[in-house]
Amino acid sequence: MEAQESATMTPRTNVTSGRRCLGLEKTNFRYTPGQLTALRIPTSRRKPSKRNDIDPEQMAYIANIEWKLSYVTPLYQFRHTQLVLYSKQLSAFIVAEKQKGIAVEVGPEMGFKVVFSVVHGMTETDEDAETVFIKIYSKPAFSVEGSAVKVVWSGWFTCVNGNLDYMRSLPSDFVSLPLFCANGPMSITALVKSWFTRMFDCYFGPLSLNSSILQWLAALWTECHPACNIRYLKLAWNLSTLPPLDISYTVHPQDAWNLWSSIRQNDSMEDSISIEKVRCFMKRVESHFFRHFRMYLSAGMLTRVCTSLGSAHCDGTIKITGTHYITPVLMLLTECALLKMPI
Amino acid sequence: MSSIKPFSKLPQLNTANVLLVENEGKLQNDLADAIVRQESNINVTVRLARGLPLPAENEENRPRIDLVVFIVHLFSEHSLVSTENSLKQLDTGYFLGKVCFLVTGARCGLVPDERLVSLRKLAASLHCPLLFAEHQTREGVSTAAQRVLKILRVSAGLVPMVTGLYLSSVSRCTVPLDSDGSVQD
Repeated sequence: MEAQESATMTPRTNVTSGRRCLGLEKTNFRYTPGQLTALRIPTSRRKPSKRNDIDPEQMAYIANIEWKLSYVTPLYQFRHTQLVLYSKQLSAFIVAEKQKGIAVEVGPEMGFKVVFSVVHGMTETDEDAETVFIKIYSKPAFSVEGSAVKVVWSGWFTCVNGNLDYMRSLPSDFVSLPLFCANGPMSITALVKSWFTRMFDCYFGPLSLNSSILQWLAALWTECHPACNIRYLKLAWNLSTLPPLDISYTVHPQDAWNLWSSIRQNDSMEDSISIEKVRCFMKRVESHFFRHFRMYLSAGMLTRVCTSLGSAHCDGTIKITGTHYITPVLMLLTECALLKMPI
Repeated sequence: MSSIKPFSKLPQLNTANVLLVENEGKLQNDLADAIVRQESNINVTVRLARGLPLPAENEENRPRIDLVVFIVHLFSEHSLVSTENSLKQLDTGYFLGKVCFLVTGARCGLVPDERLVSLRKLAASLHCPLLFAEHQTREGVSTAAQRVLKILRVSAGLVPMVTGLYLSSVSRCTVPLDSDGSVQD
């Protein structure tokens, strides 16, 4: 019994100590008096690895759709066991709001069916809450039983490898699902957000992806190139010159991989990627551009990163096409959401 | 290329000269106009530069520079890099109270946090004040001009009993302490 216990304990402590010895740089910008721990900006991350245990059918909900990102403060008394009740309440709320005259869509009378579901297997640590998926179907008023229903809006809450100190510091009734992704009409998104705000006393805010997040994504996707061909690495910058310039820079995947592996050659055996390598990669890409066009790309803003594994835009939209490498992307976005939170 | 020295020329009566160094050249002109238009009983001259070192041609005509203000836009990485390069060209005598940093774009969500952190560390290591400015509105620019003018009066020696070195030791940028008490390095 004891031997078994110790066997199960050790991997976990190894993992946590491994995480602690990843380079961390502290920031106190979000250090308000009420916060129990100061959140940290990580300076290195684990290499992306393939995950095979996620149900591909459920992954199909997430892949190939452009999601608009927001961060959510912890939800009060959200129970994963009461999803059916929440479905009924949310559909009643949408219908009520529509009748009040807050127009959802000008069109034929339609009813809404809301389905909440849980997607298992996306979490990384034991502290992460399970991902919750919400789909809103439209039912035409005079539909025949069994006719096809159309998905009008979908969204999901997730937490992948959230900051352990932060999650443990939350009071017991709160569930932390900091990342919220939505796809569909803005009016329905606003209704869903206001229902959540009323029911669970939380706050939604926009999550914009700054250039260092986009640089991480470019590096992570390039790292995945040998395992699955990324086909292109497209980067877009916006330079505030007169007239303003939009620059789209496409790198051949093999060249990108050669550059990345030459930067990583010293520590290719290590499991983590540090931010210095990422910065070096981007600097070399920018200096190559400078050599040809005599323009400093670093004087502008990186707005978009695209590969065949996915694309991300700085105003907070993301599209993931390669579902096997979804976890590092979600880990990055969860951290980003946690860092943006006001508490 | 000449390097400016803080005490190599004689001061003029009731005059203060400030040098605004900015790589992009966007905020310089508006800030210079706002500084000159401020009500004050001293003559203020504002000189503009895109980077240091300054060209040698104007060496004789250039008055003594009392304050060097580095304008950094956090939106672009290039702004920070060129400021660091310019800093290396500045005579060390200026770092005793005659240098100041003016930062724009600190509240924008699209700016990575690392840039501001590294700029704060730089300003703290040089013992210089770090001012934040809002450059897109007229009120923001005039507020920034007032603050620069206050520091300029002190570093030009026009405020009795206060020197630039004293002011910089009181108002210098500090890097916040860590949550467990150790100083961030």
